Amino acid sequence: MRITNNMLINNMLSNLGTNLGRVSKSQNQLATGKKISLPSDDPIVASRALKLRTDVAEIKQFKRNVEDATSWMEISETTLKQVGEVLKRTKELAVQAGNGTNTPEDMEKTKLEVEQLKIQMTHLANTTYSGRYIFSGFKTDKPLMDEDGVFQIDIANGEQIFYEVGIGDDISINVAGSDVFNYGNDAIAGEKSSIIQTFDDFLAALESGDGTNVGAVLGQLERDSDNVLRVRAGVGARMNRLELTSNRLEDDNISFTKLMSKNEDADIAETIMYLMNELNVYNSSLSVGAKVIQPSLVDFLT
Amino acid sequence: MSRSSFFGLDIATRGLYTAQRGMTNVNHNVDNINTPGYSRQVLEQTAARPMLMVDGSGMLGTGSEVRGVKRVRDEYVDVKYRSEAQYLGEWDVKSTLLEEMQALYNEPSNSGFSTVMNEFYNGLQQLSTDPSSHSSRAALKEKAVMLTKYFNSVASHFEYLQNDVNDIIYAKVQEVNSLADQISRLNKQIYNYEVTGNVANDLRDQRGNLVDKIAKLVNVEAYEISYGKLPTGLEDMRFVVTINGKAIVDHYNVSHLEAVQRKEKANDEDIENLYEIGWADGNRVSIKSGELKGYLEVRDGNDGANGSPDYRGVPYYQRKMNEFVRVFARTFNEGIIDIDGDGVIDKTLGHIDGYTLDSQQGDEAAGIRFFTILDEDGNPMDSTTFALFAGDSPADIDIDYYNEMYSQITAKNFSVSSEVYDNPTHNIAIIGAAEEPGNVAVMDAILDLRHNTYMFNEGAPEDFIKTIISTMGVDGQQATHYYKNQMTMTNQIENRRQSLSGVSINEEMANLVRYQHAYNAAAKMIQTHAELLDVLVNRLGV
Repeated sequence: MRITNNMLINNMLSNLGTNLGRVSKSQNQLATGKKISLPSDDPIVASRALKLRTDVAEIKQFKRNVEDATSWMEISETTLKQVGEVLKRTKELAVQAGNGTNTPEDMEKTKLEVEQLKIQMTHLANTTYSGRYIFSGFKTDKPLMDEDGVFQIDIANGEQIFYEVGIGDDISINVAGSDVFNYGNDAIAGEKSSIIQTFDDFLAALESGDGTNVGAVLGQLERDSDNVLRVRAGVGARMNRLELTSNRLEDDNISFTKLMSKNEDADIAETIMYLMNELNVYNSSLSVGAKVIQPSLVDFLT
Repeated sequence: MSRSSFFGLDIATRGLYTAQRGMTNVNHNVDNINTPGYSRQVLEQTAARPMLMVDGSGMLGTGSEVRGVKRVRDEYVDVKYRSEAQYLGEWDVKSTLLEEMQALYNEPSNSGFSTVMNEFYNGLQQLSTDPSSHSSRAALKEKAVMLTKYFNSVASHFEYLQNDVNDIIYAKVQEVNSLADQISRLNKQIYNYEVTGNVANDLRDQRGNLVDKIAKLVNVEAYEISYGKLPTGLEDMRFVVTINGKAIVDHYNVSHLEAVQRKEKANDEDIENLYEIGWADGNRVSIKSGELKGYLEVRDGNDGANGSPDYRGVPYYQRKMNEFVRVFARTFNEGIIDIDGDGVIDKTLGHIDGYTLDSQQGDEAAGIRFFTILDEDGNPMDSTTFALFAGDSPADIDIDYYNEMYSQITAKNFSVSSEVYDNPTHNIAIIGAAEEPGNVAVMDAILDLRHNTYMFNEGAPEDFIKTIISTMGVDGQQATHYYKNQMTMTNQIENRRQSLSGVSINEEMANLVRYQHAYNAAAKMIQTHAELLDVLVNRLGV
C-alpha cells in the first residue's frame, strides 16, 4: 500500500483524538466521582441510579416519619404512665378511706387530694405534642375534655392516625381518648368521661362519709387501671414495632446507599489506574506521531 | 541519408522541456499537498515519434515528449465515500443533539427530575405527619412549585432546541443550494475546457470535493452521463447530481430545494412555523440520509405518530411529558385512575375531595384542584376556571370529561392552582373530614398513588420518567455507536483515497531529483552538441 504524508497525519490525529477521548473520560470520572455523566454512557446504570435515588429518598423520609411517630408515642406512653400513677394513688386513697377508721379531718384531706388528682387527670387527657392534642383522635386541634371531665368532642376508637413507615406499611401512632378515659366506649361531646365519673363518685362517697360506697369506687378504679394497662400494653407493642421498623430502615438506608454508590460511583483506584495507562498510551502516541510525521526525503537532500 | 546538423540539439531541447515539465508537476503536487479534494497528478510521458530511416537502418529515436497530465483517482472509492458520508452526517447530528437533549433532563444528578419528585413526595409525607402545620404546608407548596417549574423549564428548553434545529435546517437547505450552484458553475467550466479533448484535473477535483460536501448533507448520487457524440467525435459527457432520482444539478441547470414554513403543525407539540423542505418547483422531496435527515428526525420525530418520522425526537419527548403531567395531575386532583388495572376507570380520593383547615362541620369537600395550568398571562389558574373548560361536570364518572379537562395541561404550562399558590395554609385540602385535622384519609390515598403501577403503561409515576430517560439514553448510546462506526468506515475509505490520490513528499522529492538529473543530462547534451558545432563551424578553418 502506498502511504502518503496526509495519511500519516490523518491517522495520527484520529488516534490522538481517540486516546485523548479516553483520557478525558477517565478524568471526568475522577473529577465527578461518577461512572457516568449522561444516561447514554450506560442507560442501565442511569435507570438504576434513578430508582435507587428514589428508594434512598423514601427511606430517609420514612425514617423521619418513624422519628416523629416515636416522639408522639413516647409522649403517649409517658402520659399513660402518669394516668396509671394517678389511678394508683387514688386507689390507695380509696383503700384508706374504706377501712372505716378515718376521722372527718382525714376524710377532708383525702377529698382535697382526690380533687387535685381529678384535675390532674383532666390535664393529662388534654396533653399536647407540638400543639396537637394527642388523645383527641382526628380533632387534634381541640382539647378532649374540660376541667369537669366533660368531653368536648365526639370521638370514636376508630380515629386512628396512621404514619407511613414503609411502602404500604402504616402504623397507628395515637391512642383515642375514648379508649383510655371512657373505658373503650366511643365518647360523645357533652357526656362525662367514665374515669372522671369514678372520681366524682369517689368524691360523693367521701362527702357522704359512707364507707360502703367507697368499696364500689374501688371496683371502678380497679377496672380503669386494668383498662389503662391494656392500652399501655398496646402502645408498648406498637413502639416495639416502630423500633424494629426503625432498625430495618437504618439497615435499608445503609444497604441502598451502598448499592447506589456501587451502581454509579467510579472506583477511584481502578479509574486512576486506567487514567495512568491511558496517559501512557497518549504520551507514546504523541511522541511516536511527532517522530513519524516530521522527516521526509527533503531533510536528507542537500 | 544525412540528418540535419541541429537534430541533436532538437532532441536535447525536448529532454529539457520534458524534465522541466516534470519539475513543474512536482512543484504543483507539493504545493497542493494540503488542498482538500486534490488528487496527485502524473505526467503521461512517452518517447517522441521516431523517424523512419529511408536507408533501411530502422527507426531513429527523437527524444521524449509529454502527452498530457493525468490525475490519479479511483471514481469507485468516491462513490463509496459518499455513500458512507451521508450516514456519518446523519449520526453525527443525532448523537450531538441527543447529548443536548439528555442534558435537558439533567439526570442522573442531584437536581434532576428524581430529586424534585422525591422532594415533592417528602413534602407530602412531612405534611401527613402533621397536617395542621402551617410551615409544612408552605414547604409543600414550594416543593410543588419546584416540580411544576422543572417541567416548565424542560419543556421550554425542548422548544428552544426545536427552534434552533429548525433554523439549522433552513441554513442547511441554503448550503445545499449554494453547493449545487457551485457545482453547476464548475460543470460549465469543465465542459468548456474538455470539449477540446483536454482533462480539467484540478476543476474536477474541486467538483468532487463539493459533491463530498453535499453528500454529507443529504442523500445524493453523482455521475456523468453521455448525451451522445460531439461533432469532434468525443462523447458528450454531462455531470448530474440527483436526490432520490430527481436532479438537483443537471449539467448547467440547478433545481433548488426550498424551506417553506408550515401552515399547520405536524405534531400538536410542535412550535409554530416549522420549515417543510420541498423542491422549489413544488414537488415533494424525501430525504433519506445525511445531516438534513438527522436534523429533520430530531425536530419532527414522534415515534411514527401522525405520520411523523419513526424516530424519538423533540415532539416525542414533549408528548410523553405532556402525558405524564396530564395523568399525574388528574389522579392527584380528582382521584380518577384505573386503580387496579382492570381497564375500568375508578374513583378514589383526590385533592378535590379533601377538606381545608377552615372547613366547618357540615361543609362539603373543598373541591380545590391542586394542579392546574398557567393562564395566558403566566399566572396560576384557579380550579373552577380550569374545570369550566370541559363544560358541566357529568353525573357519572366520565373519563372523556376528565380527558377533555386535562388536555389543557402541557408540560410547559403545568402549574399549581392559584388557590394553593396564594394560600397554601388553608387551601391545601388533604384532610379527610371537616374539623378533623388529624384525619389524613385524602393524603393517604394520594400518597398511595405514588406506587400505583397502573397509573401509566410504563408503571408508577417515577417508572414513567425513568423509562423516558433510559429510552433517551439507549437512543443516545445507539447514535454515538453508529457515529463511531461510521467514522471508522469513512476514515478507512478516506485512507484508501489518500493512499491512491494523496501526495507523497518522498515520492515527489525522488521525482524532483530524477527530473533534475534528466535536465542536467539534457543540458550536457546541448553543451556537447554545441562543442561539436563549434568544431564544425569555427575550427575547420574553411
